[in-house]
Parts: sequence; C-alpha cells; structure tokens
Amino acid sequence: MGTGTGIGRVRGLGSAKSGAHHWLVQRYTAVGNLLLVVWLIISLLKLSGLDYGSVTAWIANPLVALPLILMLVSIFWHLRLGLQVLMEDYVHDDGLKFFCTLLLNFYALGGAAAGAFAVAKIAFTGGAA
Amino acid sequence: MAISILHRVTGDGLAVVGALGLVWWLMAAAMGQEAYDYFISWAKSPIGYVVMIGLTWAFFQHLLSGLRHFVLDMGAGYELKVNKSWSILLPFLAIAITVVIWALIFTRHI
Repeated sequence: MGTGTGIGRVRGLGSAKSGAHHWLVQRYTAVGNLLLVVWLIISLLKLSGLDYGSVTAWIANPLVALPLILMLVSIFWHLRLGLQVLMEDYVHDDGLKFFCTLLLNFYALGGAAAGAFAVAKIAFTGGAA
Repeated sequence: MAISILHRVTGDGLAVVGALGLVWWLMAAAMGQEAYDYFISWAKSPIGYVVMIGLTWAFFQHLLSGLRHFVLDMGAGYELKVNKSWSILLPFLAIAITVVIWALIFTRHI
C-alpha cells in the first residue's frame, strides 16, 4: 500500500465485497415498497371510512396486518439504505458520519419496530376495544 | 439531472415525513380512540392536507423515477431522445396520478 493518491492506496486490494449487496437490497426493497404501498393506497381508498373503528377493524384482519408489517420492514430498510447514500455524499467528517449512522440506524430500526408493534397490538387485540 | 435531484428530494421527504406520519397513524390507532382522533385532527387540518397531497406526489414521483432507474440498470433507455422524453414525461405523470387520487378522495368520503 503506497502513500500516494487515493487510487494508488487502494489499487490491488480488490473490492470491499459488500457494495453489490447494498445496491441489490435497495432494489429488492424498492419492489417491495412499490407493491405494498400501492396496495395500501388502494386499500385506504376502498375503505368505507378512515375513522378509528373502520381503520382498527381493517388492520385487525390478518391478511391486512401481515402485509402492513412487511411493508414497514421494506420501507424502513429502503429508507435506511437511501439516507445512508445521502449521508455518504454530504457528510465527510468521520466523527459526524459515525454519529449520523448511529441516528439513522436508531431511526430505521425504531420506526420499523414501532410501526410493526402497533399493527401487531391491533391485530392481537382484535381492533376497536 | 433535474429528475435525479427530484428522486433524491422526494426520497428524503418520504423517508422522514412520510415514514414518521405512517408510524404516527399506526401508533395512534394502536393507542386508542383519543390518540387516533388527535391524529385525525392534524390530518384533516389544512397543513395535514398539504402534507398528505405532497407525500402522494412525492411517492409517485419517486416510484416513477425509480422505475426509470430499473430500466437504466438493465442498460436500456440511454438513447438521448428516449432518455430525455421519459425524464420530461415522468413529472407530469406523477402529478396526474396525484390529481386522480385526490379527486377520488374529495368526491367520495372523508
């Protein structure tokens, strides 16, 4: 490893072996989002109302709760990858980048968990109580 | 270039405002009538409508430019004319879908 230019220092080391994974998962979750969010929009348009009773009764259906949870996983995974790219483009300080990565991971995991827990609670307690 | 910037901007908006709004809605529904009604009072306020219409547009703009990325990933659509026509067409398509969805909502329920 030389001390010259950036390209000189990494030449011959090969790839990090994980770049394609990020790229592929971004596309898998993109397809997941496309199918599941379009399903959500159509379902909401078809619901008779969006009041508390109608919405919780709708979510309590297993055939709704499951795709909703899958949608949350797909959405938060996709946005984690997307915001990571944004961060890599604009945050160049190592310490700040560490902090942003930390926040992003908390946000993505916390958000997905909160959404999935809410859906599960409604599904397991049978909606409007 | 504009279409690429739009893809990133709509993506960031959806990732923050869209995802937080979605989780808020679900959490409110899980917490009970009172929390849900509080959410609805925000959603049905003028700000709520602006945010939801904006998110609808952002979602379809991001979806369509995302599909464009899929085509480009496959190595197709790089011819100047084809590339340019799609990048001009997609924003109009996204606006059209948004208008149709909200026309449906405003002419039916809620």
